[in-house]
Amino acid sequence: MSQLEIKNLHVSIADKEIVKGLSLTIKGGEVHAIMGPNGTGKSTLSKAIAGHPDYTITSGEVLLDGVSILEKEADERARAGIFLAFQYPSEIPGVSIANFLRAALQARLADGEEIDASGYYKRLYAKMDLLKIDRKFTSRAVNDGFSGGEKKRCEILQMAMLEPKVALMDETDSGLDIDALRIVADGVNTMRSPELGVLLITHYQRLLDYIVPDYVHVMYDGRIVKSGDKTLAHELEAKGYDWIKKELANAKA
Amino acid sequence: MSASSLSVATNLVGSFTAEAFAAHLASLPPSLPAWWIARKRAAYEKFAALPLPARTDESWRFSSISTLTLDGFTLPSAAATQVPHAPIGIKKAAKLVFANGRLFSHEPLSAELAARGVIVTTLQDALVKHEALVREHLLAQPPKLGSAKFSALHEAFLVDGAFIHIPRGITVEQPIGVFSYALGATTAVFPHTLVVAGENSRATLVEYFGSGQDTEAQFAAGANDLYASHGAHLTYIGKQDWSHRALSFQSNSTVVRRDARVQSLNVHLGARQARHESLSQLQAPGAFSEMLALTVAESGQEFDQRTLQIHQAPNTKSDLLYKNALRGTAKTIFSGLIVVDPDAQKTDAYQSNRNLMLSDEAEANSLPGLEIQANDVRCTHGATSSRIDPEQEFYLQARGIAKAAADELLTFGFFEEVLNRLSADDLHEALRVLIQTKFKK
Amino acid sequence: MKPPTETDLLPDSAEAAAVENPAVGIDQSAGNFSYNMEYAFDAGTGLSEDTIRYISSVKKEAPWILEFRLKALKKFLSMPMPTHWATKDLENIDFQKIRYYLSQGQKPKRTWDEVPDDIKKTFERLGIPEQERKFLAGVEAQFDSEAAYSNIKEIVSKQGVIFVNSTEGLREHPELFKKFFGKVIPTGDNKFSALNSAVFSGGSFIYVPPGVKVAQPLQAYFRINAENFGQFERTLIIADEGSEVVYMEGCTAPKFSTSTLHSAVVELVALKGAKIQYITVQNWANNVFNLVTKRGIAHEDAEIKWIDCNIGSRLTMKYPGVVLKGERARGEVISIALANDGQHQDTGAKMIHAANNTTSNIVAKSISVGQGRSTYRGVVHIPKHLKGCKNNTECDALLINTNSRTDTYPAISVRGDKNSTQHEASVSKVSEDMIFYMQQRGLTEGQAMSLAVNGFINDLARQFPMEYSVELKRLIDLEMEGSVG
Repeated sequence: MSQLEIKNLHVSIADKEIVKGLSLTIKGGEVHAIMGPNGTGKSTLSKAIAGHPDYTITSGEVLLDGVSILEKEADERARAGIFLAFQYPSEIPGVSIANFLRAALQARLADGEEIDASGYYKRLYAKMDLLKIDRKFTSRAVNDGFSGGEKKRCEILQMAMLEPKVALMDETDSGLDIDALRIVADGVNTMRSPELGVLLITHYQRLLDYIVPDYVHVMYDGRIVKSGDKTLAHELEAKGYDWIKKELANAKA
Repeated sequence: MSASSLSVATNLVGSFTAEAFAAHLASLPPSLPAWWIARKRAAYEKFAALPLPARTDESWRFSSISTLTLDGFTLPSAAATQVPHAPIGIKKAAKLVFANGRLFSHEPLSAELAARGVIVTTLQDALVKHEALVREHLLAQPPKLGSAKFSALHEAFLVDGAFIHIPRGITVEQPIGVFSYALGATTAVFPHTLVVAGENSRATLVEYFGSGQDTEAQFAAGANDLYASHGAHLTYIGKQDWSHRALSFQSNSTVVRRDARVQSLNVHLGARQARHESLSQLQAPGAFSEMLALTVAESGQEFDQRTLQIHQAPNTKSDLLYKNALRGTAKTIFSGLIVVDPDAQKTDAYQSNRNLMLSDEAEANSLPGLEIQANDVRCTHGATSSRIDPEQEFYLQARGIAKAAADELLTFGFFEEVLNRLSADDLHEALRVLIQTKFKK
Repeated sequence: MKPPTETDLLPDSAEAAAVENPAVGIDQSAGNFSYNMEYAFDAGTGLSEDTIRYISSVKKEAPWILEFRLKALKKFLSMPMPTHWATKDLENIDFQKIRYYLSQGQKPKRTWDEVPDDIKKTFERLGIPEQERKFLAGVEAQFDSEAAYSNIKEIVSKQGVIFVNSTEGLREHPELFKKFFGKVIPTGDNKFSALNSAVFSGGSFIYVPPGVKVAQPLQAYFRINAENFGQFERTLIIADEGSEVVYMEGCTAPKFSTSTLHSAVVELVALKGAKIQYITVQNWANNVFNLVTKRGIAHEDAEIKWIDCNIGSRLTMKYPGVVLKGERARGEVISIALANDGQHQDTGAKMIHAANNTTSNIVAKSISVGQGRSTYRGVVHIPKHLKGCKNNTECDALLINTNSRTDTYPAISVRGDKNSTQHEASVSKVSEDMIFYMQQRGLTEGQAMSLAVNGFINDLARQFPMEYSVELKRLIDLEMEGSVG
């Protein structure tokens, strides 16, 4: 069973500290949700873990199965098992989803080893059926001209094919109507297994009706300020974030 | 063969002989600084030595060469007694009127603007009173677009022109007007306007070029220098309405410094053959140059527009839109080049030439070019030539508008995209009237 | 389950094909070898009237050809280098240090077994005989100045299709040859067409009779083996009324320390309703000056399509053109260029409209890597009193590194209000976000860059026959190696 440990993580963008000492452990099979108001560093956390060059980790540690990933390039982290479902996935004109995924899988093989083409397509089509994605989808260029919902489905398909150890889902629900949200949630739910740890980053409780988390954390000003189970999400939905801010202010005083 | 090469040699100066140049120098006031006279002498030598454009010159590709004669022109001596009625009736902060190269009349600035240091005067006056500023900026940018010979001719025979200086932080709300008239059947004129906009200043300049009568076969070799210091905003509108038998060369240079912006719009209506060169240099981050042009080209006219947008610093922007409407046997040439220097990353440059073909005899040539040496840039260009959209024409006709009227409406619609870029409504309206007047002639 | 047959799968399945068939013979590194040949015929070094008389005499040419050559030499010597618009690098060509004619004989063999050993080995290493068996209707393999091998499948020759080298064409089909030779590209079209007209040797002569549609492509392969050599093939393709033919050419040369010159002239004639598709994948070694003139005449309802891909050479100057001579004729140029360090790909297209309702289309994509420079030059000409003519041009440049360079110099000339032209060009780079996105999926930065570049040209690469598009993808991957980081 795999495990992602985030220890006292500090992250800056262009010398401005955004994440200010965050610790969290995600074990295989667990679904964690991080909630919080806009601008508290939720997206920064996921991009920093994935190794985006604009984000500098100034201190702290991120371990995947006990091994630090911070010295690794973004692609090495991905191959080690970190998957980031982007809030705004890039469009890649001219590169079809089929070719793209194939290249991504090929990159995970040893030098000289060739991907088995027919096995690959069998698996791809099976995953697509599972996620109710039209076969024609694979011949379209990655995210090129996709609707918001199509982009998110494309992310989930990639996740299903690449079989990560940890999935960081950055605002996966943004821009989705309720049907698309359900499809995405179904996809994640079918992938839930003791082999996969999930970190859901979301602003709204809505997504958590479909993907029920084991743990809910509230992030504020670059830190986790409150943790609980799924009932915490309901509480946030009912009361908003202000009571957390008040609690924090009281604790300081 | 030998006969033609002989005629080329004698035609290198045409009417602008060494004697004519000596007479010109002698006519200038003795107060002018020596360096300026020395520069004029050097310019004349350069003019006389440089060959006329040849068919094989890349910078004259598609231009009619045989009609570029320097013969048969006269340098005006007597002062003019009367100029035509100014065609643009908008309120101005100040106005200078030149006839045959000499100041004819002027309306001074308000006492308030003058007290704040704004200067609107003649070049001859400025060469004496503001010598350092003039020396720094007058014809300081070398010609890069092919007309070195005509630029040298301009410098050699330049009599007088406008000098405008807006000091740091000053805004001049109303436009400053400069009018240049050529009067007489074969008159040659050399208009010049120099604008130095100080840091964070704001000003609008409207320049007009016109003839006494539309039958005069005149010659014009004009130039202007626009210099926008740090944070300055400068709007320039030039209207070229020389006689339909005139031969015109105009060479404009714009320098844009950090966070400054210059908007220039050139309206081309007159001359039988008009060459217009426009150079914009984006010299520091945040600089923005917007280059606009409108041309109404009629039978017997050739408009030859050459532009250069040089991005010399990172994070600079230029946006060019040149529209030509061609009627009768009109011919147009648009040749534009965007240059991005190796370190000018984050350049945002655009260049667009649209030709509206209104007759079966018209000829439009487009040479939109790019030379890019930095990779993190956004550079695009486009060029189209097409007739009025038959669908649109039909739509108007279906509403009861006659075809000719429909075409006219659609042509004005074609120009609106450019005019809409101007922020001042009264200017916009005045230009619209000017263009429609020409169109309905 | 339906097997993957959609077009998107092309590069995948094709990749597998590439493993079985590692070269279509256009891989520069695979082509970097040479044999020490004893040439039976050698015109020596330098250019003079004697050089030309020698070439003409060993070819046993008719007097009119010698005369044509000598006239062309005069023309060549009288014309200046076109450096007033083209690169000054042209001045580095020393015409007196080039060998203008080298061969083992003037008659190509009809079977590979008859081809001399070293030459046969060369083409085997390049994979030519194998491709011939697999998917070609005919092959001509030129080694330095002459074709060593030339053959056409019986089924095609029985239809009356002529596919020989130009030496044979001149000898055996003089009436046909003379009628069109030098008519599409006159000797004095440019300095290098004049040079070719003086010293030409090799190249293909193709005639397709009325109504014949050649099902498989005909291929020519041009190989330079000798150092300081100049290759000057001359190709003439005539597609008679209603016929169709696809011609492909590939080329390689070893990497010598001195520069080599390749200067071909290719003339196409598509008669009424005929279709010609001419595909080039140019991957000369990086010391080759590749200065080629290519033009076709399309008669009524005919179609000429140039698919031109330039990856190799030191300097390429090539602007395939179509003269749209008959009503409703169509012309197309699809151009891909990749310029790496030390390379200048100066390519483009010319479309000359000369009849009503003719249409032309140009799509050019270039990639500049490192200090590479790619230039697009285009001419679109629609003269007076034509109607219903249309041109559409699209130029896109991709710049990989901070100091990569691209230029675009189109010239569009339109008369009258019954035609329309549209030109668009853009310059872009591969966005950092896109690279990060792909890295996040486990691709290295280099792989991500390769994929992005292949994506950039994907729509054009699909127009190549599959074997070529696979090779193209592989060549691009090779070129992109080490372009980042």
